[in-house]
Amino acid sequence: MKVGLKIWRYDTSTGERALREYEIEAPEEATLLDCLDIVKDRHDGSLAYRKSCRMMICGSCGMRMDGAAVLACKTRMYDIAQEGRVPVISAMGNLPIVKDLVVDMDPFWAKFKAMWPWLEPGYERPEDGREYRISQERMNVVHKEALCINCGCCVSECNAMESDPDFLGPQALAKGMRFVGDPRDSATVERLERYSQEHGIWDCTRCYFCNERCPKGVDPRDAIAKLGAESIRLGIDRDMGAKHAKWFVRSAETTGWLREEELIPKTQGYVSAIKQLKFGASLARHGKVRPIPIPHTAKDVGEARNLRKVVREQDRQGALGHVQGERALARLEHGHTGGSLEEIYARPGAAPRPWLPEVEEDQQA
Amino acid sequence: MSTTENTTKRVAYYKGCLASLSAKELDSSTQALAPMVGLELVELESVTCCGAGDIHEAEPDYYLHLNARILAYAEATGCDTLMTVCNVCTLNLRQANFMLQGDADLLARVNENLVTVGVPAYSGNVEVRHFLWEIAEGEGYERLKEVAHRGLKGLKVAPFYGCQILRPSKIMGFEDPDRPWSLERIIEACGGEAIDYPAKIKCCGFPIIAAREETALGEVIQPVEQAIEAGADVMVTPCPLCHLSLDAWQQKLEASTGRAFKMPVLHLAQLVGVAAGLEESELKFKRHIVDPRPALERLEV
Repeated sequence: MKVGLKIWRYDTSTGERALREYEIEAPEEATLLDCLDIVKDRHDGSLAYRKSCRMMICGSCGMRMDGAAVLACKTRMYDIAQEGRVPVISAMGNLPIVKDLVVDMDPFWAKFKAMWPWLEPGYERPEDGREYRISQERMNVVHKEALCINCGCCVSECNAMESDPDFLGPQALAKGMRFVGDPRDSATVERLERYSQEHGIWDCTRCYFCNERCPKGVDPRDAIAKLGAESIRLGIDRDMGAKHAKWFVRSAETTGWLREEELIPKTQGYVSAIKQLKFGASLARHGKVRPIPIPHTAKDVGEARNLRKVVREQDRQGALGHVQGERALARLEHGHTGGSLEEIYARPGAAPRPWLPEVEEDQQA
Repeated sequence: MSTTENTTKRVAYYKGCLASLSAKELDSSTQALAPMVGLELVELESVTCCGAGDIHEAEPDYYLHLNARILAYAEATGCDTLMTVCNVCTLNLRQANFMLQGDADLLARVNENLVTVGVPAYSGNVEVRHFLWEIAEGEGYERLKEVAHRGLKGLKVAPFYGCQILRPSKIMGFEDPDRPWSLERIIEACGGEAIDYPAKIKCCGFPIIAAREETALGEVIQPVEQAIEAGADVMVTPCPLCHLSLDAWQQKLEASTGRAFKMPVLHLAQLVGVAAGLEESELKFKRHIVDPRPALERLEV
C-alpha cells in the first residue's frame, strides 16, 4: 500500500524546522514505525527517531501523530492509508527536541528519580523461610501502575505540565503509586509527604489526556487520584489541593451542595483569601456569590451524611475505593457494557472462553 | 410547521451545584429551552453534589455512593435518561454508573448501604447523558434546527469543549475526543459560524484554580487568546466550570498580561436560546462578568 507521511524535521544546530512530505510503499500490516524505517532506509537516511523493541514494551518510540502522542510501533497505518489521509508526525510535547522526532528525556528521568523509584523494604519475612507472598487483592492496587513502560506519551500531552514545567507529571506520579500501593514498602508516609509538595499530586488539572494517550492502560490520572486518596486517608492534607478536596466532602455531608462561597477561604486560609476580596466583589456584583452565604441545603441531606458514616466503617478508604471500580471499567474498555461472561462467550463469533481454575472448581461444586 | 410536536422525551434533570448557585443563568436558560427541543425535564429534588473530582479523589468510596444515590433517585422517576448540564457531573455519574452496571457484587454492596440510609436501591437502568448530546443528534437535533434556524446570523462562535465531556473516551464514548463535532454542528444549525482553534479540547484549569492559580491561568489563557486570534465574537461551552474559569477569571488574565480580552462566554443553552429567541429574563446575561450583550446586539437588527 502507499503511505503518505508529513514529518516535522528539526535541526537544533541550525534551528532549522521544516515539514517534509514522504510517500512510500509499505506492506499492509505496516505500523508507523515500519513506515519510518522505510523512509530512513530508502528515502532519507538523515531522519532521526528512537526505536528498539518494535513490540510495545521498550517505550522508545513515543511521538505524535496529528498532534496526539502514540507509540509508533503500536500504530497500524492500514486504515489511514485507505482513507488517503497523510498524517503529520512530530516529536512529543513537553520535552525539548534533540533532532527531528527525538526528544531529550533528561527532564523526564529527573522526575522519575525524584519519586524514589525503588522499594524501601519494610516487611516481615515469613518465619518458615519461604518467600513473602502478596495476595491478589493487594496486587490489584498497583496492577495498572506496574504496566508503565516509561514511554512519555502521557507527559507529552499533560496540560498542567505545559503550564508548570516543574510538575512531576503523570508518569512519575503513577510510578510513585506503584510503590505507595506496594505492601512491602515501608516509606509510604515519607513518599506521600514528598509527592504532595508544590509540584506534586495536587497540581494535576484532571484533563484526562494521560488516560486517553497511555498505550498500556496505566491510566495515570487514576493513579494520581489513588495517591490523593491515600494522602487524605493518612492525614497528609496540609496542601491547598487537599484542603480544597476536603471542603467538598464537608459540603456534601452538611448541606449536600457545594458551599461554593466558602471554597476559596477554606482552600487558601482566611488570611490569604483577603487578597481575593476585590475579585470576590466583582463576582458579587453579578450575583455569582452572595454577600452572606446562607447555606443552600439539599432535601434529605441526612441520607448523604449517614451514607458517609456507613461507608467509612467499611474499610474501603484510600486507594481501595478507586481499585474496587477498576474491574468494571476494564470491562467497559473491552466492549463489555453488560451481560455475564457466559452471555459474552456465547455470542456469535466470540473468542473461545479461556480455562480458568476457579470456574472449573465452581462447576465441580 | 413542526411535524414533531408530540414527541417529547422525559428526562431526569440533574443540574448540579453551579447551576443551582453561581451559574443560575445556566439553569434558567436550560429550563426555558428544553420544551422547545422536545425535552421534558423532571427535576431531581433529593440529590446532592456529585463530588466533582474532589470527593472522587479524596474519598472514592463515598464518591461512588453519593453518585449511586443520584442515579437511584433518577431511576425512581421512571425516566431512562439522567440529563446533566456539566462536564464534571457527566464524568462522575457516567463513571459511577459503569462501575455499578459492570460489577454485580459492587452494585449489591452499594445498594445495601443505600437502603440502610433510606435511599431506594438502584438497578442500573439509567443512562447518563449531557444536554449537548441530546441536541447534537437524533430527535433533539431535528427540533433544534426548527427552533433555532439561522438565528445567529453568521455570528462567529468559538466552541470550547473542556475535558470531561471528551475524556476518558471509554467513559464518554460520544465522539472522537481529538476531533469532536457536536458543538460545531449545533453552532452551524443555529446559523453561526464555528471557529476552529487548537485549544478547544484542552483544559480550562478550573479544578486547580483555587489551589494552583498560576498554573490554572497558564491553561485558561490559551483558549481565550486563540479564540480572539481566530476572530471569534463569542465562545460557547457545555460546562459551567469551564464557563466560570473563562468568564470570571478573564479579569485576572487581563490584570496579569495588561491586555483587554473582553471575550464573552456563553453557556450552550444560552447560545441556542439566543438563536431560538429566549428573553433576557431566561438568559440572564447580566450575571456574566464579561457582558455578551454588545457582541449579540447586531443579531437584533
